[in-house]
Amino acid sequence: MNFPYQCLEACNRSTGDRNEWLLFGGCGSDLVIQSSSGESSVWPPQKDESDVVDEPQEPPGKKIKLSPSNERTSTFACLKVSNDKKHVVAITSEDKYIRVFKIDSKCRLQQLSERCMARRPCALALTPDDETILCADKFGDVYALPLIAPADDGQNGTEPGEATDTAPQKEFSPAASILTVHSGSNRKVLEEQMKQASKGKVKTKEPLKFKHDLLLGHVSMLTDIAFTTVDGKGYILTADRDEHIRISRGPPQAHIIERFCQGHDEFVSRLCLTASGLLVSGGGDPDLLIWDWMKSRLLQKVCIRNAISAHLKGQAHLTTRVPEDEDTFKIAVSGIWHKPDSQQEDSFLVACEGIPALVYVKLGPQVLLETIGLKGNALDVSFIQLSDSTWTVVVSVDNVHNPGSTTEVREDELDAELDWFDRRAPAMTRNAQSRDAGTGGETGGGSSRRVDEKAVRNVLYGIENLRKRAGGDEQE
Amino acid sequence: MPGEPAKKQRRGEYQVSLEENEGKLPQKKFYRQRAHANPFSDHSLTYPKCPEEMDWASYYPAYAVQNQDEQKQEQRTESESHDQHPVPPEDAPSKAISKPVEIADIGCGFGGLLFALAPKFPDTLILGMEIRTSVTSYVQDKVRALRAQNTSTSSFQNVSCIRANTMKFLPNFFSKAQLSKIFLCFPDPHFKQRKHKARIVSYTLNSEYAYVLKPGGMVYTITDVKDLHEWMVGHLEKHPSFERVKDEELESDACVEIMRQETEEGKKVERNKGEKFVAVFRRMKDPPWP
Repeated sequence: MNFPYQCLEACNRSTGDRNEWLLFGGCGSDLVIQSSSGESSVWPPQKDESDVVDEPQEPPGKKIKLSPSNERTSTFACLKVSNDKKHVVAITSEDKYIRVFKIDSKCRLQQLSERCMARRPCALALTPDDETILCADKFGDVYALPLIAPADDGQNGTEPGEATDTAPQKEFSPAASILTVHSGSNRKVLEEQMKQASKGKVKTKEPLKFKHDLLLGHVSMLTDIAFTTVDGKGYILTADRDEHIRISRGPPQAHIIERFCQGHDEFVSRLCLTASGLLVSGGGDPDLLIWDWMKSRLLQKVCIRNAISAHLKGQAHLTTRVPEDEDTFKIAVSGIWHKPDSQQEDSFLVACEGIPALVYVKLGPQVLLETIGLKGNALDVSFIQLSDSTWTVVVSVDNVHNPGSTTEVREDELDAELDWFDRRAPAMTRNAQSRDAGTGGETGGGSSRRVDEKAVRNVLYGIENLRKRAGGDEQE
Repeated sequence: MPGEPAKKQRRGEYQVSLEENEGKLPQKKFYRQRAHANPFSDHSLTYPKCPEEMDWASYYPAYAVQNQDEQKQEQRTESESHDQHPVPPEDAPSKAISKPVEIADIGCGFGGLLFALAPKFPDTLILGMEIRTSVTSYVQDKVRALRAQNTSTSSFQNVSCIRANTMKFLPNFFSKAQLSKIFLCFPDPHFKQRKHKARIVSYTLNSEYAYVLKPGGMVYTITDVKDLHEWMVGHLEKHPSFERVKDEELESDACVEIMRQETEEGKKVERNKGEKFVAVFRRMKDPPWP
């Protein structure tokens, strides 16, 4: 069984007189790329040549944290193509790296930089000028990094926007005096510090050796980030596990919070801006919330949970996935994608964790809701432009777990991990079924990636875990 | 833990006796609680979805909006600006109060500062916010007792206390530019380096203080831990929305003296003959967009 494509990204580009689309898929720790002209490649390059190709690409002076490079197991969590289609920015989760790749004309990826963040990044956004990566992390902070790391990065140890907490302590002095009023545990920490002082230097975390500015932070886990420009003003939208959607100004005034969009009862996991500039937010609630975010105004709630439960109940093998009491049926939104071909209408696709279907939503006086069944749970979605008027939706589906489940391993072999759709407005009809991205899966060069089911589950399904459990610890 | 049930029982009996006697001041020994709380954990907190949904009337009953029509009127004008919340049905009890809370004491502990501020600002609503449940109950019981003792003068109607994790949920309670003063008195120093994000002042959290404060509003800090003092000063000075208030200006500020003398910790430090470090910051007006 192969590792499914846990994340997808696509773009259209023209090189010379040729128009082509590129499709990127994060497949475990591999990044697979495929173009409409039939070219394809995999990063990192196959093991036998990796030693030659990997090392010289490092920017000079950059200190690499040496993990055994051919045993790299860190999985791709997020892919983003730059607006000029020349670069791909990726997050690999376990090693906490932000990687920037250059896409060459032959559809190969060259890694330009790998920057190890202090905390695990969870979402990315790029400014419209492609200059800056905005990185949101699990600790609630948003950092700005230049897309192209400057040549002297690494030597430059100064961090202008950075909090002093990463600055190494030059000389140890205890944090408090004996006159300080203490609780028992504080006193213990202080004693530790004194002991440490007598032993000599304190080990502090190495500061990050590349340019990174702390822009803003929540005291919560960030789940998504978006950047947009309205009337020449940049805005950063951030979502967190504690139901917040925060609207801040873009850099250099990212310290100013303009407003919040408050209305979710459960965690917010995804943000999406529509063609007309509305904000769609989804998470652990049964509804998607539609916002006039410039005014913090909740315009509409769209209940997708009922559409999903109706879909599941309509399929013989999925009926049991919906509990007797439908109100207890919980969904966790794992993706909201604005349809790129709809300049006039606000329409988007929604995926939920462990659901073998997508929900198509079209806003308007009468909201249109439609479910599109899939052969496996929807993991990620991307759009490819085939011609001026035709687009195709590419969906990656879970080939490891049973449809409708995030835990049961499926017995049948899924013939492909990607599902393709044609779009015919307003409904979406399935066209060519199940084509494979060529390099993914079978043709992966004999490296049959037997996967550990539990590892796959952890990579694919982390969103429902954001839900708060009743009865938190009182004393902690 | 041995002794736990006995403690629980004692506290339960004490609560009953307190309820029977309205004007009786609570005793701290029945409310003691471990000094640290993890601001990152979920707890089992209750908090409003947004400031407009907060049931302020139950905390400041003397300021509750009585007239139903008036209230609806107010809600409607409110709705025009925010409009995310439908007007409640007519029979719903009023949650609104006639004026907003303007002073917040974050981490108010046993409320020493609150009860000293209340008579100094009789027309301003003051709110203590505390993450520890039983400490919050102490302050609430004390508010109830003081109000009962002062029915003739209606003193202490302007002070109240809620349990809250302000590091996560401050904007759920207060809207933009609502507050004129925030107090951060003797916060948990979180000595361990890896716990520094748990500190109540940080560059990123300061943006939330700036959000709820009016331009010209103040943040008051006091601590007996020099290291923490320097940390708070450093992080507030670095934040472009704040400027430090000069010491000369503080001499005429009654709040500074109250903060030095009236907080529990302040008194403890006094007894230990320790040092107290004060720093006050003003929230500046937002600059125009670049």
